[in-house]
Order: sequence, then C-alpha cells, then structure tokens
Amino acid sequence: MNLKYARSGWKLIIASLLTLSTLVGCSAPVAKGVFIEGDVTGGEAETLNWILAADASSFGYVGYTLESLATYDNQFNIQMRCLARDIEVSSDGLVYTVTLRNDLKWSDDSQVTADDYVYTLKNLMFSDWLNYNYRDDWKEEVNGQKVFVTPSVINNTTFTITRQTVDPEFIYTLYDLIPYPKYISSKYEGNVAAFTQAKEFNELSYTGNLGPYKFKEWLRNDKFVVERNPDFFLGKESGAPFFSEYVIKMFGTSAVMQGALEAGDITYCGIEPPNVPKFKKLDRINVYTVPTRGYNLISYNQRANGWEGLRKKEVRQAVSMAIDKDTIVQKMYLGFAEPAFSFIPSSSPWYSEENVVKFGVAPLTGKQKAMEQLKAAGYDYTNNGDRTVLMDKNGKPVKLILVTTPGSDIVESMSLLIKQELSDIGIEVEVKMVQWPTLLRQYMMNKAPGSDEEPRYNNGPQAVSEEPWDLALMGHNTDPLAPSGSSVFFASDGGLNSFGFFNNEIDALFKKVKSRAALDRDDRKTIYIELARVMSEEQPVDFIVFTRANRGFQKNVKGIEPGINMGYNYYLWRFE
Amino acid sequence: MRNYIIKRLFYSVIIAWGILTVTFVLLRIGPTSPVDRYILNIAAKGQNVESVKQAIEARYGLDKPLIEQYFTYLGNLLQGNWGWSFSTSMPVLELIGSHWIYSFQLILLATIFAIVLGISIGMLSAVKQNTKFDYAASIFSFIGISIPGFWLGLMLILVFAVQLGIFKTYYDTNYPIWSLENLKQLILPVMALGIGELAGYVRYTRSAMLDNLRKEFVTTARAKGLSERTVIGKHVFRNAILPLVTIIMFDLGSIVFGGAYLTEIVFGIPGLGQVSFNAIFANDYAVVVAITLIGTFLVLLLNLGTDVVYTYLDPRIRYD
Amino acid sequence: MTSKSISVLRKIAGPFYVNRRLLGYYWERLQKNKLSIAGLGFILFLAIVGIFGPLFTQDPTKADLEVPNMPPPGFTRQESIYNIKTNDFTNRTIEGGLTHPLGTDSKGRDMLAMLVSGARISLFVGLLATGIAVFLGTFIGVLSAYLGGWVDNALMRFTDIMMTFPFFLLLVLIVFIFGSSLAIIVLVIGLTGWTGAARLIRSEALSLRTRDFITASKALGASDTRIMFNHLIPNVISLVIVMASLSIPGVIMAEAALSFIGLGDPTSTSWGTILNAGQHSLETAWWVAVEPGIMLFLTVLAFNFFGDGLRDAFDPKASI
Repeated sequence: MNLKYARSGWKLIIASLLTLSTLVGCSAPVAKGVFIEGDVTGGEAETLNWILAADASSFGYVGYTLESLATYDNQFNIQMRCLARDIEVSSDGLVYTVTLRNDLKWSDDSQVTADDYVYTLKNLMFSDWLNYNYRDDWKEEVNGQKVFVTPSVINNTTFTITRQTVDPEFIYTLYDLIPYPKYISSKYEGNVAAFTQAKEFNELSYTGNLGPYKFKEWLRNDKFVVERNPDFFLGKESGAPFFSEYVIKMFGTSAVMQGALEAGDITYCGIEPPNVPKFKKLDRINVYTVPTRGYNLISYNQRANGWEGLRKKEVRQAVSMAIDKDTIVQKMYLGFAEPAFSFIPSSSPWYSEENVVKFGVAPLTGKQKAMEQLKAAGYDYTNNGDRTVLMDKNGKPVKLILVTTPGSDIVESMSLLIKQELSDIGIEVEVKMVQWPTLLRQYMMNKAPGSDEEPRYNNGPQAVSEEPWDLALMGHNTDPLAPSGSSVFFASDGGLNSFGFFNNEIDALFKKVKSRAALDRDDRKTIYIELARVMSEEQPVDFIVFTRANRGFQKNVKGIEPGINMGYNYYLWRFE
Repeated sequence: MRNYIIKRLFYSVIIAWGILTVTFVLLRIGPTSPVDRYILNIAAKGQNVESVKQAIEARYGLDKPLIEQYFTYLGNLLQGNWGWSFSTSMPVLELIGSHWIYSFQLILLATIFAIVLGISIGMLSAVKQNTKFDYAASIFSFIGISIPGFWLGLMLILVFAVQLGIFKTYYDTNYPIWSLENLKQLILPVMALGIGELAGYVRYTRSAMLDNLRKEFVTTARAKGLSERTVIGKHVFRNAILPLVTIIMFDLGSIVFGGAYLTEIVFGIPGLGQVSFNAIFANDYAVVVAITLIGTFLVLLLNLGTDVVYTYLDPRIRYD
Repeated sequence: MTSKSISVLRKIAGPFYVNRRLLGYYWERLQKNKLSIAGLGFILFLAIVGIFGPLFTQDPTKADLEVPNMPPPGFTRQESIYNIKTNDFTNRTIEGGLTHPLGTDSKGRDMLAMLVSGARISLFVGLLATGIAVFLGTFIGVLSAYLGGWVDNALMRFTDIMMTFPFFLLLVLIVFIFGSSLAIIVLVIGLTGWTGAARLIRSEALSLRTRDFITASKALGASDTRIMFNHLIPNVISLVIVMASLSIPGVIMAEAALSFIGLGDPTSTSWGTILNAGQHSLETAWWVAVEPGIMLFLTVLAFNFFGDGLRDAFDPKASI
C-alpha cells in the first residue's frame, strides 16, 4: 500500500553513485511541488522514536529524514551510497567492517561518528532498560546461549561487528541500522520515561544532513509532513530532493483515497484490484503492478489437539490439492497474485522452480485426486444422503475448525471458499473468526497439558493450544533477500512454530543456510532450491498465494522504476 | 444565586471525578491490553512476545497494581500533568490541543446551522399553519430526524463529491481554519451532522409557537391593536423559544460524543472524536480519560450557564 | 410467583385491560393520523418479515463466489480479471437477475436475505433494549417521586451522572472491552438509556401524587407498594408507551452506528454491518451501502410516525 512497504520494511533508499553522476550531468532541476502519498488510517506510524516502535510504518516515517547504512534496488542489487561508504565482510564471515561517509552531520553540526553507532547498539539497542523490540535480530546462538554480537569502534568513521558464528544473512540486518545521536541520548540514558518522551526524538530534530527531508509536522490521523532538507548529504551536487514537501495523507477508507487520486488531489496511492482497469484507462494516471512480500497460508495443526490426519504428509498434500490456487488468484485477487509453493517468492534471487512440487495447481489439483490420495492414506468415505463424507479412524465424520481473523474482505471470502472446497471432498469445515490477540493467545500459544510452563508459540512437541483447531488462515511477510528468516515458523525450534511441524531434514537445511557452508552465493542458492523442494513436498502449511500490489501515480511524476523496491530511488523523483 | 452556582460547580467536579474513575477502571480491567497492538508485528518478526510484552508494560508503568496506577494518574492530574499518550507518542494535552479545533468548528457550525434554519422554518410553519409549506416542512422534519447521519454523510459524498465533483471527497487540513475553502469543505459534514437537530428544532418551534398563539396574552396583545408582526415576533416567539435553549444544550452533549465522531470518520476530519475512539481501540487510557473528562465538564458548565442565563431571561425562575 | 407477576402486569396494564372502551377511544384517535397508521403498518410488516421472512429467503450466510457484488435486476457491472503472464485483462459483465432481486454483496450473499435477517436484529435490539430502559426508567422514576426525600435526591443525582456520561462513548468503550455480542449491546443500551424516562416519569408521578385519589387511598391505609403499583404506575403507563415508541429509533440507530464502526456482533448480519462493508465499495457496488441505509431510514421513520401519532392520541397537549 505504502511506499515504505515498497522498500524493505524500513530499508532506505539508495541510488548508485553512477546514476547520480549521470543525473548531475543533465542540468540540476529545481525543487518544486508537494508529493502527497495516500495511506489508510490503520497504517499510521506508532512513533518517530523508532527504537520503541514495533511497526514498519514508524521506521518508514523516520526513513524520510534519516538514511540507513545501505540498501538495494528492485533486483536486490546492493547499493552502497547511504551513510556507509563501504561494508566489508571478512573471508571467514565473522567480522563486518563498516566505513562511514565523513560528511555526515547531526543538527548541532557535530560529525556522525562510528562512536554514535556503537553507542546506539551497545547502550540503547542491546540495553535492558530500553528493551528494543527487535533486539533478537542482533543475537546469535553460542553453545546454546543467545548472546549479542560485539560492536567496536576502530576509528572516527570505522566500526566493526564481530560474530562468533557465521550467518551469511546477518548483513541485511546491518544494512538497516540507523543511529541515535550520542550527544542527546546520553542525557536520557537509563531513564526510560524521559527517553520515551524526549522532544528531540519525537520530533526528529537531530537528523542534520542525514536524509532528503526534515520533519515538519505530524497531525495524527491526518498527515505526516516532511520538508526538503537543503543540507542533504547527496543534495549538494544533484539538488535532490526535488519536492519541496513530502506528505503522507491518511484516509479513513481506501475508497476515498482512490477517489482522491482520481481527482488529482494526491500524487500516489495503492489501488485495489477491482479498480485497476478503471485507473489504467485514465490518461493522467500510471499504474504499476509490482510484486510484494506478502503471502497467505493455511497452517495445518499437527499438534495433539488437531485432527490426527494432518500429522501425515499424504493427508496434508491431499487437502492442499483440494484447495485450488488458481481459483483463489482469479476470484479473490482478480488475477493480482501468483500461486505460492514455499516462502521464497519468484522475485527473490534464491527462487527456482527446480523440483518444486506444485500442489494446488494443475495437474496436482482437483477433488478426484484429493479424494483418491485420502483413500490411499487409509481414510474411508461413506455416503450420507446425497453427500460423501470422509470418516476418521474412529469411524466418525471428519470435521475441521478453520480459525482466522475478521476485518479483511479477502480473508473472509477465502475462508468461505476453502470451506466450500473441502466440503467437496467430504470434509466439513467450521469457520471461526477471532480477533488477533485471541487468535494468538488461545490458538497459537501452547504448552504441555497439565504443566505450569509459561505458554509460548512453540513449547515443543508435547504442547497444545488452549482451544483446539485444525486449519489457520493467515497472512505473512517474507524477506526475498533473506528467506531463512522463515525458520522461526518452520524449524523444530522455531519460536513461532505454533502448528507443531517437526522435520529433521528442514532443520538441517535451515542450519546449513545460516552457516559457513552458505557463504558462497551459488552454494546458498543450491541450499534454498533444496529447501523449497522439501517444503513444497512436506506441506507443513499450504502456501497459497504471493500477492501483487498496484501502485497508481500521477503521470507527471518522473524517475520511477517499477519493482518490488520501487521506493529505493524516491529522493530522485520529481514532477515533470 | 452565588451559593447555587458554587453548589452546582461542586456537583460538577464530583460527577467529573466519578466519570474519570469509571472510564479509567473500565479501560484497565478488561481482557484487552495496550500491548495487543504491538503483538502482531512483533510475533510476525519472530521475536519473543512475552519479553517484549513485559518490556512495554514496564515502559509505560502498566505493570504496577491498578490502584497504584490510578492514584499516580490522579496525582499527576491534580498537578496539571495530563500524562503521555503512548499510542500516539505525544503529551495528551498537546494531542488535544492540536485536534480540538477540528471538532469545535464542526460542532459549532452544525449547531448554528440547525438553530438558525430550524427556528426559521419552524416559525414560518406555525404562522402558515396547514399550508403546503407547513406540510412540506413537517415531512422534511420527519425525514430529518429519521435519517442516520453517518449514512447521509456517505450518500452526500457519493452524490456531491464522487458523482458531481462539487466537493472534495475528503477533508483537507491544508486549508487554514479561517478560509473560504475550509468553510466550503465543511458544508457536507455540517449538513450530515446538523440535519437531525435541525429537524428536531423545526418540530419543536412549530408546536411551541402554536401553543403560545392560543394563549390569552396573544389575544390581549392583538386586542390592544399591536401589529401581527409585533405579536408574533415579540410575544409569541420569546415565550416559545425559551425552553428550546435547554433542548439545544442537551443535544450538544450527544453531538459532541456521538454524531460528531461518526461524521469525523465518514469525512476524514481529524477531530477529537477520532482521537478518542482510536485511543479506546489502543487502550490508551490517558487520552480517553482526558477527553471524556474535558467533554463532560464542558457540558456540565454549559448546563449551568444555561440555567443562570435563564434567570435573567425569565424572571419567574429563581434558584436558591 | 407467576400468578403474582401476572396480577401485577394486569394492574400495570390496568386501564387497557379493564377498559376496552378507553382502548377503542385511543385507537380511534390514532386512526385519524394517517402517517401514524402507515408507520404502524410498516412496523408490523417489518415484524412479520423479521419473524417469518427467513423461512422464505435464501440463507443469508451462504456465500456464492461465482456472483460477488451482483447488481439488482436492470443494472450491470463490469468485472476484469488480470492475467499476470500476458499483462492484460479478461472482462466479464455481471448482470443483475431475479435470483438475487436486491443484488449480492462482495461474497455473493443475497442482499434480500441479509436485509431480512437485519430486520430481525434491528427490531430485536430496538425492542429489548428499549424495554429494559423503559422498565428501569419507570421504576426509578416512580420510586423517586413516591418516596421523595433522600431517596429521591440520591436517585436523581445518580440520574444526573448517568445523563452527563457520554452515552455513545460509553457504549463503544464497553463493547470494545467486553466483546461485541448482541447481548452486551442490548444490555449496555438498556442499562444506560433509562435516564430520560426516569426523569419524565418522576415529574409526571410527582404531579399525580398530589391528586386527590392518591391522598384518598393513603387515608384508607393503602401501603406504599400498593399505591405505587395500583395507582401511580397505571396512571403513567400511557406516557411510558409513548416514551418507548419514541426511543426505539434512537436505539436502532445506536446499534447501526456501532456496527458501522466495526463493533457489531460478528456472528449476526445487521444493517449496520452490511453498511460498514458497503462503504468500502461505494464505487463498484453502491447497492450494498444504499439498501441497508434505506431500510434503516424507513424503519426509524416508521417508529417516529407511529410514536408521534400515539402521543397525540394519548394526550394532544403533551410535549415530549
């Protein structure tokens, strides 16, 4: 919907120095006009004091004023032009050396140094008093203990991060790093209330020349406004950015927002599938259809309080065959999606179709095939009136509970479609709509029955959730660049493996991809190909579809490169 | 009189305190938690939800016993500290300060719209009793009190903004409050919000005027040879309109906390209604309590003001 | 127990139960008001539809994803499906047909069936919540008026607090915190909506109390309860009925507003829920938002017509 999703979470925007110099060559344009991006109210940021935030929007808002260390383009080519001049990984994959640009300034004109970064990591992000929400990203497992990586200052513009174990994908976490100014933060150190309420952080008044824009105004539920930063470190030669203001305008409904785009009141917003043809016909609007990171899946509960059939691979495959992915693509997304078979999307550099078993699309789809496979797995059908009914091992009709959350029309429709398709193969499905917190607490969290352990999302094979369930329809985000992050769902010790999938082959592959064996890109790709194959065959969950987004711009915006990270060069966009 | 006002003010403070306590307790004893909104994002990124939950509760002092939180809050309030809104990360007072004007202008204009039009149509209706105008006004007022304001808002947008393109489909805060553009974009919201009250006032004014027209003093006035204009304008109107003030004050309370919020949602106006309801959904008690408190206190003061004004307008009324 | 409550009921409904002639008299007066009869007709029609309609319509929960957003007969809608490989669209035209006389929503559910089931819910919520509110209001009003003294004082101060409490905010707060089910919605509206009735009944009962027949019963040694149930309540009953019929529309609208902002009971289809879903597809499927709005409007209008006529019939001079 929002550009910040076009970028990777809060990953910032970079154009290669090459692009920049060609741009400088063709006369520097002047900054003019206000770029207005539309967003729906629910997507508003929590806070500009990003270290306290849990949502992507907060990092996105901050990103307009403060660049990260590095970023990548639509093809995931790494672009070194943000705050880091260079990031080097030692040949053993353990030491990361970051060299900063030397022209970076805080608002008090003091230089941004390696010390600011190391301070941010050690004293803020790793601290106990502040409790950064995502600090686990900076931990590694050593001898069964989770420990933080070690940052250290080398000189004014160089710092290193030293790990004890190899993780080829840790570098992407590093790219996203943004600093807090030590000269301000140290005033609040240890006092969480003062830090939370510090005006400097909540109004981003320290960002100096570190981003294309400066914070101007944030009227909650209405608009977030940043204004052109004349000191932007990349602006001296190119004159960037070229908008005098960049505004994120909030709308109550997406319908009103699209109306505003049509009327020319805003510059850019997401367009919902039914409206795409109409907008494509408009002369004033460009619509780009781009891949996203979002996908839908149905978890199969393989714990003791789910249907025992789901613990068998053959049964899961049969159910997946009954759910036709092309139908979902056509009916739910009006074509703006593509079937998924693992958590690696086709936009990922690690994607390959090799050996992937495609359940849910022709030829591995259909009522007949699903029923035959269920029979082969040892389940019988009986006729009950005009209906065929699948019987479980105790001779009772199989009845499954599908849980999902209300609020999204597509998800609600999809659960109804799944109910219908499973009823066609003789399985009755009861759809339960519960709010997120309830879904998490009563269905996803689990513990061994009768024990007094703290409920967690994965408390081992013995654990079960409070309420019984069989299928859970959910939406997830993947990381095309580092798909191994999905191990939290699919590895035996994965913290969010709430559906209880335990498979040694998968565990070994996840371990391998986060080790020395995957340092070489070709080796890593081989591992991912194997991972995708095993996933598609094992069907721990039914991956349904990866969605496509439609982004509508006024035609007079120049410099857009459509793609999954299309916001990566947004600071070079301008009005014709 | 003075004693009366002091007594009423005292009552108002007690009532406001009661409402504060109820709101505070309701928001904090329910099964929902302020941390709920963070959980989804945190869980999706594979972080440990329990430790994050504890951290966030500690950060905002939500881990202390409820009674302690309550007295801390009360203590701060007495010192003029309205607290920190953790769902919007800004001081509560600042949050209210930057949003109140949007609700205020909407409510003010809608009330003026309803009063001016309502009384005029009602008067005309009474004077021209049983004419076509009277019937039309009567039908109109029935429609007005029956139409759901939020639905009317949607329909107005559909027709006047989407189909005809006369208005913007949303409220634009870039126009200064004191500008013609701002006034123009408030036309539809004011209609949607004010139509119910307007219809009510038409009905009330009409029946009150008719009642008074039958009274003896009117006959006397007419017998004295006063012009019809003076009779209706001065004698009938003044007597009919007095009780309307109470009704208007009463309506204000329900507009502030009901209709205005729905209108704000439909038209995307960033007023206090939206702020307070978003705060409810985020369990941000500091904001909810503050807005409820300020709102009810204003309503109470308005009521008191009306009563006091009454004694001047109508010498028969006296408070002791 | 049962026989006792029946006898109490009989006494409450006394004037009507005993005196058929009085009932006939009111009926005759009511009949003179054509709009009121039309309103009553529509309410009865709605009640019949609500009770028996679901037997004849399709299942309102049955989705048919073949015909999402099918327009009513006479209208058409274009649906385009994108082809990711060829980057173009396949178009199909969805025509309205008699299988779904009012069209379908985004999940292909029959709008007629949903509206009928919505009628059931609106009436259920309207009648039950108003019933609770009016019962409480009458009880508190009469108690307060008859007992007087500190009881009266305490009850009226309590009523003041309840009246000042922002009703819609409280409703949203409680429903958000304790979950949105019809039972909770009905209870909250019922338990908070009695204040107006209590005040009105109290003042009516106060004026009754000084009448001769009450003094006479007292002199004859009647107990407090006896006077309350045998004399006070039967004499305010007409007021209660009018009060109820006039407050039902407000309750129906409150439920719709609640569903409109997404706090309706997710397990039942009310007009507000349909409206909420429909506002997002105003451009592709206008009928989803327009139809329930019209039903809501007509229902509220009917209750207003009827209540108005009823009031005139009982007492042409009363102004509520």
